[in-house]
Amino acid sequence: MRRLRRLKNKRAWLAAPYGVWAAGFIIIPLIMIIYFAFTSDEGGAFTLANFSEAFTGETVKALWLSILLAAVSTAICLVMAYPLAMILAERKRGAGGLIILIFILPMWMNFLLRTFAWQTLLEKNGVINSILSFLGLPSLNIINTPWAIILGMVYNFLPFMVLPIYNVLIKIDKEVFEAARDLGAGPWQTFRKITVPLSVPGIVSGITMVFIPALTTFVISDLLGGSKILLIGNVIEQEFKQLNNWNVGSAMSLVLMIFIVISMVVSAKTDKDGEGSLL
Amino acid sequence: MEENALSSVLIDMINISKSFGGVTVLDEFDLSIKENEFLTLLGPSGCGKTTTLRILGGFETPDTGKVMFGNTDITNLAPNKRQLNTVFQKYALFPHMTIAENIAFGLKIKNRPAGYIKDKIKYALKLVNLEGFEERSPTELSGGQQQRIAIARAIVNEPKVLLLDEPLGALDLKLRQDMQYELIRLKNELGITFVYVTHDQEEALTMSDTIVVMNQGYIQQIGTPEDIYNEPENAFVADFIGDSNLYDAIMIEDRLVEVDGVKFKCVDEGFGTNKPVDVVIRPEDVELTEPSKGIVTGRVTNLIFKGVHYEMEVKAANGTEWLIHSTGMKPVGEEVGIYVDPFNIQIMNKPEYSDEEAQAVEE
Amino acid sequence: MKFLKRFYMVIIFIMLYAPIITLMVLSFNTSKSRAHWGGFTLHWYESLFQNTDIMQALYNTLIIALLASVIATVIGTLASVGMNAMGKRSRSIFVGVTNIPMLNSEIVMGVSLMLLFIIGRMELGFSTILISHITFNIPYVILNVLPKLKQINRETYEAALDLGATPFYAYRKVVIPDIMPGIISGFLLSFTMSLDDFVITYFTKGPGIDTLSTKIYSEVRKGIRPEMYSLSTILFATVLLLLLIVYLHPDKNKAGSRRKQPSKLRRAGGILVKRVLPAALAAVIIFGGIYYFRGSSTAYTGEVVVYNFGDYLDYDVLDQFEEETGIRVIYEEYETNEIMYPKIKSGAVAYDVVCPSDYMIQKMMQNDLLQEINYDNIPNIRYIGDIYMKTSEQFDPGNKYSVPNYWGTVGILYNKKMVDEPVTSWKILWETKYKDSILMQDSVRDAFAVALKYDGYSLNSTNMMELNDAQELLLTQKPLVQAYVVDQARDKMIGNEAALAVIYSGDALYAQTENPDLEFVVPDEGSNVWLDSWVIPANAKNKENAEAFINFMCRPDIALKNFEYTTYSIPNTAARELIEDEEIRESTTVFPDEEILSRCETFNYLGPDTEEIYNRLWREVKSQ
Repeated sequence: MRRLRRLKNKRAWLAAPYGVWAAGFIIIPLIMIIYFAFTSDEGGAFTLANFSEAFTGETVKALWLSILLAAVSTAICLVMAYPLAMILAERKRGAGGLIILIFILPMWMNFLLRTFAWQTLLEKNGVINSILSFLGLPSLNIINTPWAIILGMVYNFLPFMVLPIYNVLIKIDKEVFEAARDLGAGPWQTFRKITVPLSVPGIVSGITMVFIPALTTFVISDLLGGSKILLIGNVIEQEFKQLNNWNVGSAMSLVLMIFIVISMVVSAKTDKDGEGSLL
Repeated sequence: MEENALSSVLIDMINISKSFGGVTVLDEFDLSIKENEFLTLLGPSGCGKTTTLRILGGFETPDTGKVMFGNTDITNLAPNKRQLNTVFQKYALFPHMTIAENIAFGLKIKNRPAGYIKDKIKYALKLVNLEGFEERSPTELSGGQQQRIAIARAIVNEPKVLLLDEPLGALDLKLRQDMQYELIRLKNELGITFVYVTHDQEEALTMSDTIVVMNQGYIQQIGTPEDIYNEPENAFVADFIGDSNLYDAIMIEDRLVEVDGVKFKCVDEGFGTNKPVDVVIRPEDVELTEPSKGIVTGRVTNLIFKGVHYEMEVKAANGTEWLIHSTGMKPVGEEVGIYVDPFNIQIMNKPEYSDEEAQAVEE
Repeated sequence: MKFLKRFYMVIIFIMLYAPIITLMVLSFNTSKSRAHWGGFTLHWYESLFQNTDIMQALYNTLIIALLASVIATVIGTLASVGMNAMGKRSRSIFVGVTNIPMLNSEIVMGVSLMLLFIIGRMELGFSTILISHITFNIPYVILNVLPKLKQINRETYEAALDLGATPFYAYRKVVIPDIMPGIISGFLLSFTMSLDDFVITYFTKGPGIDTLSTKIYSEVRKGIRPEMYSLSTILFATVLLLLLIVYLHPDKNKAGSRRKQPSKLRRAGGILVKRVLPAALAAVIIFGGIYYFRGSSTAYTGEVVVYNFGDYLDYDVLDQFEEETGIRVIYEEYETNEIMYPKIKSGAVAYDVVCPSDYMIQKMMQNDLLQEINYDNIPNIRYIGDIYMKTSEQFDPGNKYSVPNYWGTVGILYNKKMVDEPVTSWKILWETKYKDSILMQDSVRDAFAVALKYDGYSLNSTNMMELNDAQELLLTQKPLVQAYVVDQARDKMIGNEAALAVIYSGDALYAQTENPDLEFVVPDEGSNVWLDSWVIPANAKNKENAEAFINFMCRPDIALKNFEYTTYSIPNTAARELIEDEEIRESTTVFPDEEILSRCETFNYLGPDTEEIYNRLWREVKSQ
């Protein structure tokens, strides 16, 4: 036994390369953000000015808008994803594989092109409106509005809500549902009292995996918002890439990280196995 | 084990057929279940017993036929509307609820008052000898305890019929035996019908009022445990239940049968003249005497001590191989005489279909 | 109920595939327009394969994805084995760190890595992209391998030890094969993530290096080339094929699978996966490598790093320059002066020659960011008209730092079919009847120029009252604006997407040739006249090559080529005489006359404080 234990300790060192890499390329960069957020761009003295500079009227507005849009998108994703996950979970294994494949396949198309394609679809003279006018229906004018951005978010992030819920649902023993039915519960009651409570870990996971990317995206608002709608992601991108305002940008990033840390804590609480497997 | 010939029929399964993906599991299946009886569906894997149970529970709908519960046709009735409850093979306790909530589940659905529910939970836990377990979580309990909670959860709803799907399969031997007695006690105390599914013939013999032996979707024999054991009707039943000496034989005439050239007196009539038949003799019914006193002589080839009895293998002079259970011992190599009382020889018709044949040993 | 389920699945299916089908259909569309079908063609597929930029980006993407996933898989698998052997506390720390890239937003990750590289004096380029990809790939590997390690039967490992194996041998022969499905799925997941990544690559890449995603992004802002549709169709079809093959591959590990002979289809799938796929992969890498390095195998005598406005020259001239001089061109583009400036200022990348606008050149001069040009190395400057050299002196006294490249005006491009009244004033851009049909420039100076001029003020105003008035105007206008765009305005007007657009004269000409319903006018209140010139940054590494480049651009035949491609007015009088089409040669849109020019002002650099004010006011408008 002792031989095994000593071996175990030696084996743990195999993780050392990763440890070094993570320290260098995950931890240190985050420290840099913190550093830049708290120092001034001339001289490098400690300051909180970056935060006040960062959170001017329009940045705060952008932040609230981002939170709102992300929340709405996440909610829509949840409502759409849950039935889908249930339907997929019901199917028998063999056939189910193909369906899941068909579902995942669009994700393999480049993310930018997929989003850009929606621009083509939604434009005033785009595909959808061409079809609608052909059928004599009024045209759909949501391009360059927040609704277009929500559509883009839901489209891109839906799979990240479906998969965690699906993974949790298939792990539930089928007999548990039958037991509920056997004891007198109708379909809706079974759903409410059994299915939903047991799928909570998946729901939490899904919400985390959708809300954060939705909150911080800048590509979707760029492509579908016509540069009329500024989200916090756009603001940060501008600070770094266009205005070269690293300090202010870092301050904004740090504030964003608060949301991220909250979601990490929540997901750590629901992940009992300590495996960290989200998908 | 009581036999009440005056009990009325509670459930009638009429002409049930069911196929899954082209495979026929039940074919023109008829079964009547009486009130208050402990009826066991017994058979090997794939024989259709679980499907039958699920049809009763409402989790499968038969392709043809109907299920009558009293005077009501429940064939297409949803599971939650039937007056039956099921104890599932893997217990199926709700992991996110306490024991009390699990047990209360069915009662809450029916909107019973809180006080009533509380009392019922207490009563149920007492019945299964798990008092005080209300606030525990299913994941904390052992297999046997979970099983009992599953039973408790089912019976608080006062169903007319309790369906049990191989509930003792995952328990070790001693616990299983204890639970078997518990189940009989429960049935008697509650006075409800039990429909029990198992592949373990000893279990069936121990607990049942009526055993339905099934193979490949067909009923082979229905009867009391003694009937099934002592008077199996075909090779399959004979072979499946208990140990047996099963031989091809020729019915010379009424009450006379010949096995491997040796004639035996028996008590069965009506099987024809010089017709091929199957013969089954239970090992405990074979007597070993001095060579001169037996119907045929033989030599002991194997001897195993089994605690309850000795098991011996004897090769007779005419080549027939015999299996004997006896409390007395004959050592290996000894010459013996084999004697069987005519009453203990059971004649059966040759199998007409493959399902009636004795099962080959599968790896 | 079953019908409802089917119906729901179909709806989802349609929603998922609508954009993809659209792209696929468009890839066969003869017309460049996005909503009209012009006829079936394979032309774009052809030109796709001839387009070195895109092919280069594709190759980069594949190589980076492959390298990053392989390295990440190795590090990640080792890490998983190590983590599995750790005590609970160490393991949770490692798991926590592993979760950070997964949960963190991409933009924060990208930005933090960018900061790291810049502070660490690492030049942004291929290696920085690779490092970043490896960083976000490793967690995916760990999250696939670690659970597998937990699942496997410990006893098989101990049995191996018992039979005499060393731990290493036992791992190699027993454990690794057992967890191989996890390793493979980790690898595939990493590969996928790398292929598709945009945000992180965007922040950590250097000039000249593009992955497919970053290339697409830069294209999208301008208006996508149909070759991109072809590329995405091909990629999608490839992935579809691969997934089908893998799906049909007989899975030996499936519990309870009968050992009967798998069907012919499955066996074909098996062969494809085991033989053809690796061979194909190797072929791609080898041929790609040859192709890639063919570019650099030609002996270059040096290089020059060029930073220019988007779509601002005929890309063929770059190849021509390389052939004639043997100097390799590394080419990057930017959309607005304001995006370009911080990059030059920070010195993160050393560009050799840049093409800013007049006021920006002024600013750069004042900030000591430019160096004097040795005009002896630019004899072709004699082809630039005197008047343009004179105008240049407004911001570059003595013509020491710049060589004029393009010039033009800003005006209103309108669609005659959608605007039935005469257009003479900026006022029309505030008419509510054109709501959602107006395109404004997504650039602070250009937008304010329109408002200030409309108000009758100078577009170089520093007067707070005037500026606030101008902002008011822009705010009232915003609900009427369809979008703030830069280069896309041109394509949108061609596509009849909007009725009115503020646009540069050069774009106007191109738009008019593509869509005869379009007219261009410089409003009565006046507008902006601008000059874009070549300059050499102070930190340029290849000054002489830069001068050779500028000299080349001033050659009349080259200037003519550029004019024909960009349709922007050139100050190169010798080239102008070479223009064959008389209408164009004499066009007042392209070459505005005195009358128009008298109404126009050039932008001046207003100093950092005023700039700050303009930026703030503009941000307020944008975020409304």
